[in-house]
Amino acid sequence: MADTNAPKPSSSVKLVLLGEAAVGKSSLVLRFVNNDFQENKEPTIGAAFLTQKCNLPTRTIKFEIWDTAGQERFASLAPMYYRNAQAALVVYDLTKPTSLIKAKHWVAELQRQASPGIVIALVGNKLDLTSDSAGSAEVSGDGDDTAEDSGDARKISTEEAKTYAEEEGLLFFETSAKTGHNVTEVFTAIANAIPETSLKSARGPGASHAGVSRTEEQRVNLNGPRDANAKEGCAC
Amino acid sequence: MLNLSSFVQKAQQLLDPTQGLNLTDSDKNPSKASLFQSQFRLPDSQHPLYEITAELTIPPSNVTQGGKDQDRGFHYAGKLHLSEAYLCFSTTPSSFLQSASTSTSSAFTGQTHGGGPSGNGFTFPLSSIRRVERLHSQNFQFALAITTWNGISQDAPKENKDRKEVREQRITIQLAGTRVACERFCDGLKKGLRAAVGNVGKLKKVIGECYSEYLLRPEEQKSASPPDAGLGMIFRYPGDPKKLRDRAKMRLWAEYLRDNGRNVTLIRQPTFHKLIRVGLPNRLRGEIWELTSGSVYLRLENPTLYADTLAKHSGKESLAIDEIEKDLNRSLPEYPGFQSEEGIGRLRRVLTAYSWVNTDVGYCQAMNIVVAALLIYMSEAQAFFLLSTLCDRLVPGYYSTTMYGTLLDQKVFESLVERTMPILWEHLVKCDVQLSVVSLPWFLSLYINSMPLVFAFRVLDVFFVEGPKVLFQVGLAILRINGEELLDATDDGAFISVLKNYFARLDESAHPKSENPKLRAVTRFQELMVVAFKEFSGITHSTITELRLKNKDTVLNNIESFAKRTAIRNLGPESKLLSTDELGAVYDRFYGVLYERQQRDLIIKQEEARRAKSNRISRIGQMVDEGNVEKGRVGLGPSTSLMDYDAFREFLAGIAKWAVSDSPTQSRRDTGSSNGGGFYNSFRKNESSMSPWGNGPEPADHEFLRRLFRKWDFDSSSALTLQNVVTGLARIKGKRDIMGTINYFFELHDDDGDGKVDREGILRMSEALLFLSRRGLEGALDRATAPNGMMTEGMVTPGNDVPDQSINERFLGSVSAFIRRCFEYADPDHPNNQNSQQPAQQQTASRQEDNLIAIDDDDAAQGLADPDAFAIGDDDDDFDEENDDDLLAMDSPTASPRPAKRESDTATSSLQPPSSLHLDPSTAPSSISNNDEDHRRRVSRQQSEKANIALDPNNPLHITLPTFRMVVLADELLEQFFESSFPCSFHLVEGINMSSGNSSNAGSSSYGVGGLGSTFSNIGFFGGGAGGNNQQGAGAGRGLRGVLDNIVTDGMRVAAEVRRRMEDAQRELEKNALPGQQRPGGANRGGGDDEDDDEDDGGPVEGLSLGGNGNGSGGAGGSALEDRRGGVRSSDRDLLTGADAEASDPTAEAQLQQGSSGGGEASGNGGGVTSKVVGVEFDG
Repeated sequence: MADTNAPKPSSSVKLVLLGEAAVGKSSLVLRFVNNDFQENKEPTIGAAFLTQKCNLPTRTIKFEIWDTAGQERFASLAPMYYRNAQAALVVYDLTKPTSLIKAKHWVAELQRQASPGIVIALVGNKLDLTSDSAGSAEVSGDGDDTAEDSGDARKISTEEAKTYAEEEGLLFFETSAKTGHNVTEVFTAIANAIPETSLKSARGPGASHAGVSRTEEQRVNLNGPRDANAKEGCAC
Repeated sequence: MLNLSSFVQKAQQLLDPTQGLNLTDSDKNPSKASLFQSQFRLPDSQHPLYEITAELTIPPSNVTQGGKDQDRGFHYAGKLHLSEAYLCFSTTPSSFLQSASTSTSSAFTGQTHGGGPSGNGFTFPLSSIRRVERLHSQNFQFALAITTWNGISQDAPKENKDRKEVREQRITIQLAGTRVACERFCDGLKKGLRAAVGNVGKLKKVIGECYSEYLLRPEEQKSASPPDAGLGMIFRYPGDPKKLRDRAKMRLWAEYLRDNGRNVTLIRQPTFHKLIRVGLPNRLRGEIWELTSGSVYLRLENPTLYADTLAKHSGKESLAIDEIEKDLNRSLPEYPGFQSEEGIGRLRRVLTAYSWVNTDVGYCQAMNIVVAALLIYMSEAQAFFLLSTLCDRLVPGYYSTTMYGTLLDQKVFESLVERTMPILWEHLVKCDVQLSVVSLPWFLSLYINSMPLVFAFRVLDVFFVEGPKVLFQVGLAILRINGEELLDATDDGAFISVLKNYFARLDESAHPKSENPKLRAVTRFQELMVVAFKEFSGITHSTITELRLKNKDTVLNNIESFAKRTAIRNLGPESKLLSTDELGAVYDRFYGVLYERQQRDLIIKQEEARRAKSNRISRIGQMVDEGNVEKGRVGLGPSTSLMDYDAFREFLAGIAKWAVSDSPTQSRRDTGSSNGGGFYNSFRKNESSMSPWGNGPEPADHEFLRRLFRKWDFDSSSALTLQNVVTGLARIKGKRDIMGTINYFFELHDDDGDGKVDREGILRMSEALLFLSRRGLEGALDRATAPNGMMTEGMVTPGNDVPDQSINERFLGSVSAFIRRCFEYADPDHPNNQNSQQPAQQQTASRQEDNLIAIDDDDAAQGLADPDAFAIGDDDDDFDEENDDDLLAMDSPTASPRPAKRESDTATSSLQPPSSLHLDPSTAPSSISNNDEDHRRRVSRQQSEKANIALDPNNPLHITLPTFRMVVLADELLEQFFESSFPCSFHLVEGINMSSGNSSNAGSSSYGVGGLGSTFSNIGFFGGGAGGNNQQGAGAGRGLRGVLDNIVTDGMRVAAEVRRRMEDAQRELEKNALPGQQRPGGANRGGGDDEDDDEDDGGPVEGLSLGGNGNGSGGAGGSALEDRRGGVRSSDRDLLTGADAEASDPTAEAQLQQGSSGGGEASGNGGGVTSKVVGVEFDG
């Protein structure tokens, strides 16, 4: 498991992707993991699991990525994927206002129900559909006005999302899984944002005692109703 | 009698809210009909009508090859069942008589290795039976020869010509039973057959789409194009046909079908199950799936449903369709058919059609994958009905909006793993690997996108015959086989990759290093099948049923708490005005009311249905059956989340005292005709268990409620969402801002939103104020003597607690003053009209005042002692003549002026002049003395003439919001009302408990309400109250019931009706003392299903007993197969041997290898493989 080639310390981080259906969660992961893009990606059933390493100057992070299904009715399954997650990518579609609302719901859910200290990144995907697809970070807030004329499908201004992200203390990026713009940056930023302390308890062969005892505690109730602990929504 | 008792049982469940809300009766005691339907995979329309023990004989003429049974044919003992349109025979000795125990009815437990769910036998639609003859038999009283329409779809003339060629399918059934029983059965059969004649055409059409018809046609007739056997006919079927030995399988099937009937006339013999186990041939796969799952019977019921649905909804749009479109291009994209418009078009149509017929499910991701898979092997219509069967029967709740079925089965799977592989389970727990993240997609997509397609289809082959337990057996086998490697995996990632690897290598040899070539030839998939159905043969349908039942509650509760959490969090910003507790309570009450109403509707409907049924026999079971439709629980998916007006009333009655009706419906009907009589009757009425309001208090119906409803229903959909309700409540209760509340109240009465409320509106407002306060004011009033913010004054003894009791009277005064002031400060619409036309009105008004107003000036003390003193009645003869002119009654001691009016049919109106209320109760509430009385009356009389200006229709006037605000703020009590009482009257969290609330209600509502508008009507109500006037002493003990009705009319038309009632505490107590009236604190849906009516149907799962007890018929079938091998090419022999091997004759099961990861119970591990070798060698 551990990366023996690198002298740098390596640790795994559980990351979960959440967001409305068809905003490009799986595509982001595919871009990050395989540097690939598929127009017709099979919808995720339950969740897909992938891993990818991320090299930082001081350490290597191995992302264990849980890519969840986006359809509304799968929402009740989400708790079983985000439990113990140290990071979350909440994705919305820049061209679809409802997807940001859904993203906000997810953020609220995570802040209340996921492990404390979870690093959350808000990601607006499908930047390639907007006129500023070149990738300038600062965009005027009035993108909507010109949307029809310029072929800019953007419906959510950078400022709106950014302001929200700042309020909630989230990392914020606008990406395009299609062009690959900003995708790696998201994961790197997350890797950097994970506090050292939480890395120590990362799972894997070298998991520390603290981590084990914590999970042990949580598993005590497994056979009984699990809603005794915080993950009450998880029915599995 | 039986349906009656089940009905009673249900009613009892409703009465006791702690019981049965979570586990419905149908869960615990599934109806015989539903068991019957699942046993034979019949549509919901079928019920077990008759059953009889019988012996089936398949005559030797039907057997193509010789064999040991050649002379006698095949015999099967079992039970023959008759439903409305089906004749079924099964060797499984299940009984569906009403008297049968649940265990004998739920024998849907055939070992996977044995006869499948319904054993050997047949399921004939009656329309497929051509002829039934009675034979002479020595052993049995009744022997029937049944000839079917086997091969019906072939051209009739030819069939007749070549009669010799086309073999008739003729079987014999001997009935064993009393003569009477046999005759009854035959009578039923006769009736059924007669009714079925009309369906032969339908049948012909349906089976015309079955590939078997084409397959068995003589070569020369095969010119016509074959029926659609799926996209595979165009784009090839997945897998290498050679490797799959498709031709050999096809030959075997052709032979079997020739001998045993095709499609609906097929007879299941052991070979049938064995042939399924080795994998279906491509072109027959769809048809056999359809047959074994029973979806063909659905299609038979309504052959055109698919086409009709598409036609009906053509061009329409829906959310489901949007979702479907998103996924069309990504469903089994690796299969060429789904890279083509043809395939995608079929997929689109099937998914869309289903989303229309089952709007509750709509579309769920994973359905696209399942349907895509089905479409490779079957036509669109076949796939459509099979999807239906999947969603309703085979994997219920998997694709629902909450996916509770999926979650439930994951829980069931986890408990099975824990039970059968404790070491692995412990390891999973230790490493914190959550099994369901791995296994959920297996179940949800029926292994279709977990395994390579060819293997997934093999699993499906068995799944459709034997039901959902197959999914579990295969899942367990996967874990068992990979047990050792999984024990090395310590996190989700490793766990997943072990399994991924395994699935990718299913076609490889399971024992690549073995010396024995036969053993080497066994693939990993074969091994998987053997382990699944051999080692886990103890996992039966009832195991699954039982575990589902056990876990259902937890799962639903989890889903519900998740849904609740999410719903509350996602409520708009206004919800922040309420506390989390309050929101939670509102959520619970909202859905609680909807759920209870739904359950009540169901029961009421069932009772109606029961009454309507005269033909009892055919209806037995149906009643119970309807109960199977379990809805309403949030966890089960969409039922309704909209609250109509009646539900809204019920909701409010749970949180606000004023929303509870003063007297239930019956007396309302009696209005005006019976004085007091109806009032008593009304209490008795609730003893009937069928109150439309269940066991809660009957909600009031008042114009204020309607206004509130309309206001909250801001998108005018005539129904409230949770969001509407929360927003509505938040605006009243959340702000705690008197101005906001005042504005809100004003807007509520400002119909056209122009910022003005007209005369009638003013009257309505006053009525609303009185309506809201009639059970006393709550909240922080300026009285230290009102503990808990409730009015709890005692009115028992005269003179007691004067300041306290006066609050309500004061409020009455305040309202009175409110009207006066409103009119005083109102802006005329047309200033010129202001002074016209008063005399005429006054005349009318004064004429009609016959004792409408009770004035107890003679006995001030009585007013204190007896709330009835405030009653207004038309039969009070002790009124002074002069009172007649007093339009506004003043009950002196408590200074509660009662503006009372009556209007004649001349429709003129009169209003008490403002000045007649010369004592403003709010400013000098307790200073009023009897001395004032005369003076007051005099003044009022004088000024009554001026009164009418305000109500003069020719003088339209209105007040504006600032005026309204001013008027309210001018009165201390009104101010407090808006500041605190009104918002406080919504008890969101604690609710109102009508039984314990009695004490607080006791004295508080003790004032009469004067007419606010022009006139009284419905004085009849008043008998009781007026009587109280006279019986002072006694009345004091009994308390007051004042009921008052007004009819407000405007000059030109009959205006709104106002009714008001007051209930005295004594009656409240009486009412609550009645049995069955206890109102639960809230909609208690929590667990606590501690009923003791545990199932008696045994079916306990004693761990997993392994091996050894394989079904005997398997062995018999095996030998039969061998006997008949003559007709099969030698190259096919191998395949069948394979069948034998996979089916692994129990007697051959010799050595068992101990599973490494399993516990001591794993004695069967690997046994299948070993026995396969044995089997092969036997044959070799």
